[in-house]
Amino acid sequence: MSVVEIDDLQKSYGSKKAVRGVSLTVEEGQIFALLGPNGAGKTTTLEILEGFRQRDAGRVSVLGFDPADRRGGREMREQIGLVLQDIAVEPYLTVRETVARNAGYYPAARDIDEVIALVGMSGKEKEKVKDLSGGQKRRLDLALGIIGNPRLLFLDEPTTGFDPSARRSAWELVRELTRLGTTILLTTHYMDEAQALADEVAVIAAGEIVARGTPETLGGRDTAKARVRFALPEGHSADELPVAVSPDGEEMVTVEADDPTEVLHQLTGWALGNNTTLPRLIVDRPSLEDVYIRLTGEGADAPQAERSMT
Amino acid sequence: MTTASAPAAQQTGRRKSTGALLVHQVRYEQLSFWRNPQSAFFTFAFPVIFFVILGAVFRTGNVYDHISGIEYYTPTITALSVIGCCYSQLAISLSLRRQTGILKRLRATPAPAWLIFGGIVIHCIILSLIDTVLIVIMSRVYGHAFPSNWGAILITLLIAAAAFCAIGVAVASLIKNADAAPAVVQFIFFPLLFISGSYFHIASKVINNIAGVFPIKPFNDALIQTFTLGKGIDGHAILVMAAWGVGGALVAIRRFRWDPRPE
Repeated sequence: MSVVEIDDLQKSYGSKKAVRGVSLTVEEGQIFALLGPNGAGKTTTLEILEGFRQRDAGRVSVLGFDPADRRGGREMREQIGLVLQDIAVEPYLTVRETVARNAGYYPAARDIDEVIALVGMSGKEKEKVKDLSGGQKRRLDLALGIIGNPRLLFLDEPTTGFDPSARRSAWELVRELTRLGTTILLTTHYMDEAQALADEVAVIAAGEIVARGTPETLGGRDTAKARVRFALPEGHSADELPVAVSPDGEEMVTVEADDPTEVLHQLTGWALGNNTTLPRLIVDRPSLEDVYIRLTGEGADAPQAERSMT
Repeated sequence: MTTASAPAAQQTGRRKSTGALLVHQVRYEQLSFWRNPQSAFFTFAFPVIFFVILGAVFRTGNVYDHISGIEYYTPTITALSVIGCCYSQLAISLSLRRQTGILKRLRATPAPAWLIFGGIVIHCIILSLIDTVLIVIMSRVYGHAFPSNWGAILITLLIAAAAFCAIGVAVASLIKNADAAPAVVQFIFFPLLFISGSYFHIASKVINNIAGVFPIKPFNDALIQTFTLGKGIDGHAILVMAAWGVGGALVAIRRFRWDPRPE
């Protein structure tokens, strides 16, 4: 069953087109990652799904509700959880009071102490929110996102600003929630986060989805050519090699091949026959990061991506 | 992080009743308010301290028509404290809560708008009533008898509190930047307090006619009539305040925003 359905979503701010024709489907039980650089339209898309912003055109369904229709808002919000980018909780309430207050708004809230333990805040129940560190506040925000026992959880850049160990704990929590039956739609600009968590990834750039798939197949990663890279051995030129290579900066050369076995055999045979080696030899395929940078046009087209920021 | 046991797929349980939700909401409004020393002092203790000083200085002096200082300041400082709780405190804290994203976070929960505003209004009315009781007790200490017509006083206070809450929400809707909120709120409020006779009696008919159009002077008049003169409800004053309240509510409904960065 699809939990989220978006069809040809459009949204402009003045003359700036923030979202242009995004379509996607999130299935029940999935972790779906919307991956893209800052200003690509991730948060705008998420905020339309959450009912914070009105769309200009397109069809949107969240758990069968139209988020733009406030009449179904309360019922929809009883079944979804949100973790926003802004940290925003009453500064003078304690951790437990903050969670208990929000628990009161849901008909089937989770146990308050269990949720506090789940986000790793046990022992901090009596601390005032204003005395928490930034990371602790974000974990409290996560607790507020899941206190209502949601069927669907939106996470907007959930680990931005986390240290590596806090990120791993947050990932573990996200996986735990999926095991308990929560569907998760998250945005991120971290490739490793999408790789570690997502069942399905959609890459968004300048308001359009430019690729979708599993982290393994995204952008044709699984069928992409393998790259064999090495430095030219001293005293030899590229012309002497048994295969054609292309220069690759820093004295490195690259050969691309559908299957590297044959090429490697020729190259290593040539090196042994000439009593030399292939320094810094690497065989790899494009990483998710390579694909991402190619798809989002970051790097070469960076200024253009900048202009489309919202 | 530990393991959770509650299966997310099961959505059992029922919505709380309206009354239970309101009690829940008011409880946390109260907690947030009393924990913040600044708000607790300036909106709550300040009018009482102000009254104690004014009472000590002007207790026995004749203000006008044989009304003594204490008879004059008991109603006007009560009005001042209600306006402080319902209008100033409310407008400033709402714009601050919007700016920091607290309102947006709240809007992300199933809590309906009526609950959030209902909780705030009831919270402000409770603060107003406690302030009123404290001022009446201090007034008794200064030798002024307890008022006898509590019914008329209570109705006047409730209508005024609701009206000033509505104006407070309206002003918060129009304020764009929370940093400017205290200045804007005081800018509207302070000159009106002066011409409305909150600090001293105004004899000028022209000024009284001007001030009478705004909600503060009618509030003062209605409380002087009930507290000091022992009369019933001032129907005209109630009408003026109610009209401002309805106007404020209309502006609030049309213009109120939850999002710190609207489209």
